[in-house]
Amino acid sequence: MGSELERSFVEQLQENQNLIHKICRLYTDSEDAHKDLFQEITIQLWKAFPQFRGDSKFTTWAYRVALNTAITLYRKKSRTVNTVEFNNTIHKVNQEEYDYEEEEHLKLLYQAVHQLNDIEKALVFMYLEDKDYGEIADTLGISEVNARVKMNRIKGKLKKILNP
Amino acid sequence: MDVLDKLKNDWQKNGDRYPRISEHEIYGMLHKKSSSIVKWILFISIIEFAVFLTLSLMLSDTQNAKTMVNYMGEVLNITFTVIDMGINVVFMYLFYINYKKIKNTDKVKNLMANILKSRKIVSRYIMVKLIATFILALISIQYVHTYDPKWIELFQEAEQEGKGFVINLLYYGVGIIAILLFVALFWLFYKLIYGLLLKRLNRNYQELKKIEI
Repeated sequence: MGSELERSFVEQLQENQNLIHKICRLYTDSEDAHKDLFQEITIQLWKAFPQFRGDSKFTTWAYRVALNTAITLYRKKSRTVNTVEFNNTIHKVNQEEYDYEEEEHLKLLYQAVHQLNDIEKALVFMYLEDKDYGEIADTLGISEVNARVKMNRIKGKLKKILNP
Repeated sequence: MDVLDKLKNDWQKNGDRYPRISEHEIYGMLHKKSSSIVKWILFISIIEFAVFLTLSLMLSDTQNAKTMVNYMGEVLNITFTVIDMGINVVFMYLFYINYKKIKNTDKVKNLMANILKSRKIVSRYIMVKLIATFILALISIQYVHTYDPKWIELFQEAEQEGKGFVINLLYYGVGIIAILLFVALFWLFYKLIYGLLLKRLNRNYQELKKIEI
């Protein structure tokens, strides 16, 4: 099925699809929207794939395209969504690992992150992925110092959302 | 431990909780059409260029336009046409060059800036065309006033009755208001489309710029 390039792309994407799922997790709040964004990111990655030289890891390369799609390129379709319901289903999978209180707290945390704006979510995403500030700054096109400052502000904002 | 570090633990521990998308499904996605904003912008920009080009060509072929050419003289007419076509070519070229710069692998801020810039080019194009339309319409009103035999007759009659000032005021007043209304309506409609299309992008770009202040 498909050309050599297509096969190589699909294989790598399938292997690293969690990266895209994680972005969709932060930027969408329904299963439909999740799938929709996943598809648009896949299309955008495929469009850029001929320029991917393989001198960096597939995931490192894919970060930018995926974030660019979520923040800038993707046209949100207006839908009525039920945020809470979706977050619950995703969380139930690993429920047994946590005690109830811990689980509740994490749920609130995810909900708080959902309230951030698109740019803040991008910073949080890269932070959660353990990217250093140099890479965060480079991906967004801002300075490292400003990325740090902004990250601290986001932490403050999250605290405020959680403890109003 | 701060708020986000707690989340980070969970985030990294639970990498596999998402539904797996099969290779087969991914193949399917590759052949689906993108609905990205860049595609929309390209599409609408091409339509805009096409609309104004067709308008230029159509208007120069009407009977009214031919009478206007008679009034204006061939040289002036050719000058206008050359300027008009020059504007079209320059803007299309600028748009094309900038459009080429839009890359989804770019830094987030650069990508946004390039998309907004390509919009700005089309927006300037529309603005220049509308201003040109406005000026041309004003000139036309003036030429009709001076050269059109039917109107000259009307103005002379009015003058004899001592209503010269009133009829002139009415003529120019109604003419200018009608042109302004047309231009404003067009501009409003245009702004509305892009306001809706670019709202989120603009907001995010401003947000990113704010970080640097």
